[in-house]
Amino acid sequence: MAVSPEKAPTTAQSSTVQSPTLKDAVIVGGNRIPFAKAGTKYADASNQEMFTAALEGLVARFGLQGETIGEVVGGSVLKHSRDFNLIRECVLGSSLSPATPAFDLQQACATGLEAFITVSNKIRLGQIDSAIAGGTDTVSDAPIAVSDGLRKALLKASHAKSLGQRVKAFASIRPADFSPATPRTDEPRTGLSMGEHQAITSAKWGISREAQDEIALNSHVNLAAKYDEGFFNDLVTPFKGLAADQNMRADSTAEKLGSLKTVFGNSLSAPATMTAGNSTPLSDGASTVLVSTREWAAQRNLPVLARFVDAQTAAVDFVHGHEGLLMAPAHAVPVLLKRNGLTLDDIDFFEIHEAFASTVLTTLAAWEDEEYCRTELGLDGALGTVDRARLNVAGSSLAAGHPFAATGARIIATAAKLVSQKAAETGKPARALISVCAAGGLGATAIIESAH
Amino acid sequence: MTDKYTAFVNGGFGKSLAKKLGLPQPAKLRRFKAGQALVSGPVLVVGSGSDADAVATYLLDGAGSSESIDVRRQAVEPSGSKWAAIVVVLTQVTAPGDLSEPILALGSQLRSVASSGRVIFVTRPAAAGLSPAVAAARNGAIGAMRSLAKELRAGATANAISITDDSAATSPSALSALRFFLSSRSAFVDGQIVAVSSEAGQVPESWAAPLAGKVAVVTGAAQGIGAAIAETLARDGATVVAVDVPAAGESLSKVANRIKGTALQLDITVPDAGAQIIEHAVARHGGIDIVVHNAGITRDKLLANMDNAKWDSVIAVNIESQLRINEALLASEHFTNAPRIVSLTSTSGIAGNRGQTNYGASKAGVIAMVASTSPLLAERGGTANAVAPGFIETKMTAKIPFATREVARRLNSLQQGGQPVDVAETIAFLASPASGGISGVTVRVCGQNMVGA
Amino acid sequence: MSVLTPANRPSRVVELPSVPGLTALYGKAVLPSPHDIAGAVSSKLPFGKSAVPTVEASTLRLPDVTYLVRGVKGEPSHIVDYQRLLGEPVSDVLPAGYVHVLGFPVAMALMVSAEFPLPVMGMVHLRNSVSVARTIRTGEQLNILAWAQNMTGHAKGTSVELVVEAYADEEVVWRGVSTYLAKGKYLVGRGDESGQIDRAEFSAPLPTGRWQLGGSIGRQYAAVSGDRNPIHMSALTAKAFGFPRAIAHGMYTAARALSEAGRMRPDAYEWTVEFAKPVLLPGKVDVSIRGDAGVGGTGAVTYAGWNGKSGKVHFTGKITPLG
Repeated sequence: MAVSPEKAPTTAQSSTVQSPTLKDAVIVGGNRIPFAKAGTKYADASNQEMFTAALEGLVARFGLQGETIGEVVGGSVLKHSRDFNLIRECVLGSSLSPATPAFDLQQACATGLEAFITVSNKIRLGQIDSAIAGGTDTVSDAPIAVSDGLRKALLKASHAKSLGQRVKAFASIRPADFSPATPRTDEPRTGLSMGEHQAITSAKWGISREAQDEIALNSHVNLAAKYDEGFFNDLVTPFKGLAADQNMRADSTAEKLGSLKTVFGNSLSAPATMTAGNSTPLSDGASTVLVSTREWAAQRNLPVLARFVDAQTAAVDFVHGHEGLLMAPAHAVPVLLKRNGLTLDDIDFFEIHEAFASTVLTTLAAWEDEEYCRTELGLDGALGTVDRARLNVAGSSLAAGHPFAATGARIIATAAKLVSQKAAETGKPARALISVCAAGGLGATAIIESAH
Repeated sequence: MTDKYTAFVNGGFGKSLAKKLGLPQPAKLRRFKAGQALVSGPVLVVGSGSDADAVATYLLDGAGSSESIDVRRQAVEPSGSKWAAIVVVLTQVTAPGDLSEPILALGSQLRSVASSGRVIFVTRPAAAGLSPAVAAARNGAIGAMRSLAKELRAGATANAISITDDSAATSPSALSALRFFLSSRSAFVDGQIVAVSSEAGQVPESWAAPLAGKVAVVTGAAQGIGAAIAETLARDGATVVAVDVPAAGESLSKVANRIKGTALQLDITVPDAGAQIIEHAVARHGGIDIVVHNAGITRDKLLANMDNAKWDSVIAVNIESQLRINEALLASEHFTNAPRIVSLTSTSGIAGNRGQTNYGASKAGVIAMVASTSPLLAERGGTANAVAPGFIETKMTAKIPFATREVARRLNSLQQGGQPVDVAETIAFLASPASGGISGVTVRVCGQNMVGA
Repeated sequence: MSVLTPANRPSRVVELPSVPGLTALYGKAVLPSPHDIAGAVSSKLPFGKSAVPTVEASTLRLPDVTYLVRGVKGEPSHIVDYQRLLGEPVSDVLPAGYVHVLGFPVAMALMVSAEFPLPVMGMVHLRNSVSVARTIRTGEQLNILAWAQNMTGHAKGTSVELVVEAYADEEVVWRGVSTYLAKGKYLVGRGDESGQIDRAEFSAPLPTGRWQLGGSIGRQYAAVSGDRNPIHMSALTAKAFGFPRAIAHGMYTAARALSEAGRMRPDAYEWTVEFAKPVLLPGKVDVSIRGDAGVGGTGAVTYAGWNGKSGKVHFTGKITPLG
């Protein structure tokens, strides 16, 4: 069964402009640079350099030199103010035609997936025929702002009309104002780091340390296996001497993971379970995915791996502990499945972003919990059980790393290749569900399926 | 890579100092740039007979282009200029005595050969079955050419085109070779013989873009010689698939983007590398016409100290992968329209090199492989050839210790190392549709290196 | 009609011309002689010294007087500073905690007056309860009444309630009852009440947030509240009063919890807090601020703050809908 695209209403009166029929948005392929551990290989690389590199690898893979792409859309979560037009600047520094429009978009860790959804929708509406979606993030080159006090004094001084006013402005600077303001990964409304939030959610759901370590181990093993078989040959282009994801540990074992100290949830009454091994490391990296109409791809002899089916975002009220910070995808997915007449059993690949191993596990647990599904998700009963053999089969963020905005396009391109391969093997359509949780209680989810 | 010595002795002070000390005086070689004329001065055609006339006429007609070439038949010094090239046509000699007149006429003009000038012998092979006198005369011509190449100065070269008896002196490949040797594309090819073995080949519509409409695959294209090959083939009009190991992807994508080609990250030693290459080229560019096996590695060690990993990896990358990919190409319905295979071998594969038993084995293997592959491609108008670079200025050779490098680089008639583009130009020449009659051969790009000469 | 009805209070009203300055009041509070204090405070009263009956400090009675200041409203820029510091939306809604700030000096004036029987310095804020009848706007002129009541024996001394009522015209729109403990002063005998949350019984819930309180938060809250009690200002001044470091204002923590309850707050509500172990600065406080919303819920918000490491509770409180 293939999910058929909804048709636009065709009942427009003769006096109104006819809406075009929706087109298929297809995924041609993707490219990313390997993800690096923060402060190491890409320590001196900016977001612009990394995204440009990812873009250039994509251009090289698909021969897009001089091509005017419909739109390039992406963003970064930790962004310098000088990067106000980050993606456009990257386009101008690339081999694409300078006439390629671009814009920045941001939805925390869901930035990349949201960019993909955005361009796919534009393609489906016929507004553009091709697009590149993606994202980039660096923790190593994160913006550091001057303190509020210094900033206000400097602004006042620059607006001053007289020397006296300027002197007065500078005189208001206190020594403490010179300590820089580094970007926070804490939730602004709770002051809890994402890890602490997830530790609370894990405690609520009673997720065990062992189950989390198992998810982490699978992530490393699966990612390493895919590298070995050359799966990433046409998904990753090396950068600055790094050829594969730096965080990946092919030799990871349950014992090694089990020996790590807990880093989150240590002050909770429930036992702490989250370690550096079952939480994503801070990473640097960039990724892209090429999306187009079938015609655009065909005209350029480009492959078509998968088509965009549908997407759903959600948000949860996490501020007062009603729901876990990273549980929004658990809410989005049932809506998405229902709208497309699908169940969990219709999904061949579950790509659930591993912000933390326990994020995956609390999401799965939530879908299996009848009471939760009834009261929180408004379902008649449990959504169902995810077949673990279909979960993150090519590894995910725990092994690959998670440069916030770069994760979406990493997953989309990987999933597109997975469904394409599976469809080629079985002769039947294959489908992937992509789920990315994000800061602020946000979540973005999407379904893609093989396109042949 | 810069050769500081060559730059020094070409400067005013360095030049006079080197002269006084009798140091090698490598010349700055003229190299090809897009739009450059085939020759930059008058061309003398020496020799008598119908072949000499045909060659002279061909040149006089612009050598297949709209250029006007100053062609002369009299061995009289041109006033106010120097010979850009002297073509000695010796196809019709029957006895060694026939050589004296044309070769001495050539000799009388050598002082008037321009910098980076060309001496080209057009001969017939001293094949088995010929009368001893004919064979002696023909091979005598080659002997004279080789020695002359060592006498020439100021970047001038001497080479020979040896045309099989049943092919015309103006057959497509003879002209292709003639043009190659006349042009600055052959800057670092010296003292070599290119054998034209058939009339196969298609003169291109435009010699400015001889590879127009062709799809070329270059392995090991991320840097050095491979990158130069990709760039040269693209300059000549080909659509290039740049292949290299995934780990080299960053520079590979830069090459691909510069030449508006596509990058294919692939380890050529995987079993289905041939299938992957064909699939990419055909799906993305509609076909596959040229495959350049450039990827290669060295793992030097004296044989007494050689281990399995060093031996096997060199054999796997340098020869086994080529054999396997060629097998896939030969089996493919897409590699049928006058396809070209050009492999990189090495002077080490010809002459051997201390510490390179593994490398020498692989590269000698390549030389034999192209010779045996050649007949398999003949019926589809295809060719298989090899190019053996001598000392080429690359990142790899830059790592050789200074003294060794300095000796290696001067140990040839041009007294300098070649550039990656010199190898690339020779490959482009062999890959050209016009070179269909040149197959199974190995062309050295070595400045007439003493090693293995 | 207001959900609040005026409370019983001393019928004798002394009207102050304006809200007294707290710094001056603290100055009085650290002075040794109650007579000087009484004199100083009463000198500020419009009715002269005679207007305030001189009561001996040893009479063990609370002053039978209600202080009144008419037409009180905050400076707009000062209100914004308060709103920003506490995380309240910058708007024309006057935060309930800000009304406490407005009324506190009036209560303080009473406490430092000569007839107040307990020493103000070193008093511990045990609990606070504020009732808000309706949303108060920033431009509203409030008439502030303050009096003391319920002097009670306590396990550790004597507790007393300071009540502040804010009227808009004839309507009580806000009432705060602050309970203080004068430690070691057993004026009315030893009571049973421990006055603090039973620490043994407190078990930390899953937090909903964490406050990273900087070393300057005491000074920052002092700037918006006027409460420059030395124990909040710096480690040095706090040490003089027996604290290892500066401590956060209790009302800062309560007002921040109130602020973070955000939209869970109804228009009319009671906002209570019980203080336990003081928050040393700089420091981290794990907090839980949870609403009982939804079907069958009371709409109340329960909150608590504790030390994540030791598990010791700093404060607990509740925001309950009124009317």
